[in-house]
Amino acid sequence: MDLASRYKGVVGMVFGDNQSSNEDSYIQRLLDRISNGTLPDDRRTAIVELQSVVAESNAAQLAFGAAGFPVIVGILKDQRDDLEMVRGALETLLGALTPIDHARAQKTEVQAALMNSDLLSREAENITLLLSLLEEEDFYVRYYTLQILTALLMNSQNRLQEAILTTPRGITRLMDMLMDREVIRNEALLLLTHLTREAEEIQKIVVFEGAFEKIFSIIKEEGGSDGDVVVQDCLELLNNLLRSSSSNQILLRETMGFEPIISILKLRGITYKFTQQKTVNLLSALETINMLIMGRADTEPGKDSNKLANRTVLVQKKLLDYLLMLGVESQWAPVAVRCMTFKCIGDLIDGHPKNRDILASKVLGEDRQVEPALNSILRIILQTSSIQEFVAADYVFKTFCEKNTEGQTMLASTLIPQPHPTSRDHLEDDVHMSFGSMLLRGLCSGEADGDLETCCRAASILSHVVKDNLRCKEKALKIVLESPMPSMGTPEPLFQRIVRYLAVASSMKSKEKSSTLGKSYIQQIILKLLVTWTVDCPTAVQCFLDSRHHLTFLLELVTDPAATVCIRGLASILLGECVIYNKSIENGKDAFSVVDAVGQKMGLTSYFSKFEEMQNSFIFSPSKKPPQGYKPLTRTPTPSEAEINEVDEVDEMVKGNEDHPMLLSLFDASFIGLVKSLEGNIRERIVDVYSRPKSEVAVVPADLEQKSGENEKDYINRLKAFIEKQCSEIQNLLARNAALAEDVASSGRNEQSQGSEQRASTVMDKVQMESIRRELQETSQRLETVKAEKAKIESEASSNKNMAAKLEFDLKSLSDAYNSLEQANYHLEQEVKSLKGGESPMQFPDIEAIKEEVRKEAQKESEDELNDLLVCLGQEESKVEKLSAKLIELGVDVDKLLEDIGDESEAQAESEED
Amino acid sequence: MSYAYLFKYIIIGDTGVGKSCLLLQFTDKRFQPVHDLTIGVEFGARMITIDNKPIKLQIWDTAGQESFRSITRSYYRGAAGALLVYDITRRETFNHLASWLEDARQHANANMTIMLIGNKCDLAHRRAVSTEEGEQFAKEHGLIFMEASAKTAQNVEEAFIKTAATIYKKIQDGVFDVSNESYGIKVGYGGIPGPSGGRDGSTSQGGGCCG
Repeated sequence: MDLASRYKGVVGMVFGDNQSSNEDSYIQRLLDRISNGTLPDDRRTAIVELQSVVAESNAAQLAFGAAGFPVIVGILKDQRDDLEMVRGALETLLGALTPIDHARAQKTEVQAALMNSDLLSREAENITLLLSLLEEEDFYVRYYTLQILTALLMNSQNRLQEAILTTPRGITRLMDMLMDREVIRNEALLLLTHLTREAEEIQKIVVFEGAFEKIFSIIKEEGGSDGDVVVQDCLELLNNLLRSSSSNQILLRETMGFEPIISILKLRGITYKFTQQKTVNLLSALETINMLIMGRADTEPGKDSNKLANRTVLVQKKLLDYLLMLGVESQWAPVAVRCMTFKCIGDLIDGHPKNRDILASKVLGEDRQVEPALNSILRIILQTSSIQEFVAADYVFKTFCEKNTEGQTMLASTLIPQPHPTSRDHLEDDVHMSFGSMLLRGLCSGEADGDLETCCRAASILSHVVKDNLRCKEKALKIVLESPMPSMGTPEPLFQRIVRYLAVASSMKSKEKSSTLGKSYIQQIILKLLVTWTVDCPTAVQCFLDSRHHLTFLLELVTDPAATVCIRGLASILLGECVIYNKSIENGKDAFSVVDAVGQKMGLTSYFSKFEEMQNSFIFSPSKKPPQGYKPLTRTPTPSEAEINEVDEVDEMVKGNEDHPMLLSLFDASFIGLVKSLEGNIRERIVDVYSRPKSEVAVVPADLEQKSGENEKDYINRLKAFIEKQCSEIQNLLARNAALAEDVASSGRNEQSQGSEQRASTVMDKVQMESIRRELQETSQRLETVKAEKAKIESEASSNKNMAAKLEFDLKSLSDAYNSLEQANYHLEQEVKSLKGGESPMQFPDIEAIKEEVRKEAQKESEDELNDLLVCLGQEESKVEKLSAKLIELGVDVDKLLEDIGDESEAQAESEED
Repeated sequence: MSYAYLFKYIIIGDTGVGKSCLLLQFTDKRFQPVHDLTIGVEFGARMITIDNKPIKLQIWDTAGQESFRSITRSYYRGAAGALLVYDITRRETFNHLASWLEDARQHANANMTIMLIGNKCDLAHRRAVSTEEGEQFAKEHGLIFMEASAKTAQNVEEAFIKTAATIYKKIQDGVFDVSNESYGIKVGYGGIPGPSGGRDGSTSQGGGCCG
């Protein structure tokens, strides 16, 4: 089997061969028994054993992965008849793909299950083989196969998606499993849910194969929202199919329709108990609804038709009724469900006039207790203890009022103050109270106990009602409230009352500065109302400036270091509105006076800087929207309470910011756009007002002439008076000029330090710009000459450098030569030294004398030796003579013998020479 | 929205022969001279009447490009009808019909009704495939044949309806087991009591398989 060796090769390469060889050989033996065994029973025992070993340890999984797949795949391919073997093989595979969750498993260890998944799914054939097993009769075979496919999908999603897509009828088989018995069906649901994640083509085929019908039939069987986790799985699959595919949304709408999904939201009778599973089911269904309402996530412009059609059909199918039941009437629904419901209602009517009208006409309750739905929602806003719910319900009014003049007028028409506000308890029960009365009651609720929370919520709703609608603004301005203690004061316009609450809120805030009460949004929301109200509405400005204290208060708020960036910014905007929408000509209340007051209090630069600070704050910065990642609800038997209630995810991201994170949702894009456009207008207008002070003395040349019939004295007096007036005006202008100069100076300093750009093109700026431009020109000219000089110097430098290099080179060769000379010299010296060192290390003896001495000594020595040699030679000769005589006696030819000896010694001498 | 039957169609053929335009003409009654390349599969639906019965057509328009072939094949089996389209001004699209047909025979159910459409018949001056050739091919392979124009809407309506009528007739003749949805046919709510006895389309058939 070359496959085996290939697997082994891969695994061997990855792991090295230092894995526990015990396991290796044990598993090898089992595999051997399985593939080569002849007794069926023995083979079966072996596979059962293998299965239990593989399920136990990471090492065994690794060992199995190294050699086991070909054997197991072989069984699945060729031995389908042996059911037990097939089951065993599948269980072993499943074991090899399931991560072993031992506490002791080290993180550094290779995840055998992942590795094995990779190995198995590498061959698309294996997937095809597994898919074919789904057609087997045996329940367990199908069951294990589905589990194996799910495990593979978890570990290598893309590869499996591709493999299944290319297997003919692969998805069809999986879809058929949805009609199988319950256990298999549930497994298939999970598998399909993973399979359809981010795989558009698979989503379409699944839908083609009738997924919608099957999903809804299962949900129905399981009891709708009361069902268990299977319903959640169904809805998640459904959401995968609808999330990014408008084509699938159209298909659902055109074939099955939206009733099945809407009916999941329908509560049967009065529901008191919302289990956590039910909550999750409802949230999932609401998510589906939300997808349909919003169309595709990334809708291209011009492709809204699908979105609008969805909204129309949803409302036609009574979605609004169910949503109202769920979000408004059912008091036991969890907050998360109610919030999501409000979001859906808001989106459903957003930009859809017909749906808006339908919502406005809805009434809730029974018999005499009926009440318009919008009133009920308002009551929730005023009373709920959950900030999230307030924000979510507020969104309904926001979308209801947007570009809906008629609706706003309808709501505003009921803004009629009740003569004697009774105690608050009545708010709870009185369904006959009109929208406007309830809103006013809410606005004034702070009067009694200082509860500004309710007041600011009402203010938020009022800001939607008056937004972009001059008639409603005027109508609301006309409302006059009686003083809470009639004996004490005069009636007070609603607008001024609200400004007063703003003042109360800021004084409370500064008192609580040290407390740990946390962030508040009360002042910001009230300011939002005032800013929205005053846009294009001179009457509102008039009303605001009617009381001198207001301007002073507002100026103080702008400079209040205790206020947040957002509060200061919005207060500045409101101040600016008092300039641009000011039609007053009354002294002290006209635009000029306001600008003057600003200039005196803080200087224009400091005033404008408040805008910038606010624009840079997190609420206004464009990057504020957190990326809308899709995050499925955790699939657990009992979803945790914490997860369900976790709504404010943005909280983390704005930690350390002083403004309340909820403002992110409350300050919608259109309000932020409004503030930005106001800012530009305010800058322009203020500069305009400032640069053209109205002249107190009209200069008409004719007046300076002596009138006919006027005597000299009168004429002089008249001129004198005229000059006096002019003089005082000049004084005024000088003072303003000084203030301006100071401002400019400080702004110049600021600009230097901050490098921030000034947007408005004031005269001053122009002058400054002119001079700066001139400077710039000069500087750039200077820069040019400097550049030329630089180039020249550079070229010089380079030639110098070249020269230097050459010189250096010369120097180097010279020094080399010198070095070699020196070296030679050194050598010579060494030589000399060694030569000298050969003689006695003592002083410098007379060489000649020493030579002489040595020669003598040598001569003497050689003479002695010579003498010795001669003596020896004599002795030898006498020895030879004696021996020769003896030899002759013995009869030996002596001469010949002597000759031989001479030859030998000659030969010896010769060899010595060699 | 009640219907007696629901038929699933697929539209197949080479890229650029006008499959998406035929669908758009049929569902929206308009023509888009420049159409984006279809990616994978797109969907369209329309209600028609045959024999006084409301019939819903679910039409799956496939991408003609070779690279999508493996994906589009997944749609063959579950379809009751197929519109096989070629372009009468481009001979090669006609030459490829055999390979498309082979694909269909291999992956679709045997009773799928196939309608051969020679599209762009408004461009008679650039014709490269004669009507007779088209007829001949259809006859040889047992297909219904029509020349049509998505641009002028000529025969578009007819092509879809004639296919449906053929399927309807097959049902009447008892060719299909309409309770088995894998043939691409579904009995609707307001439908005639078919062989399955007017069952509720949204309830499941129950666990048919018990291993």
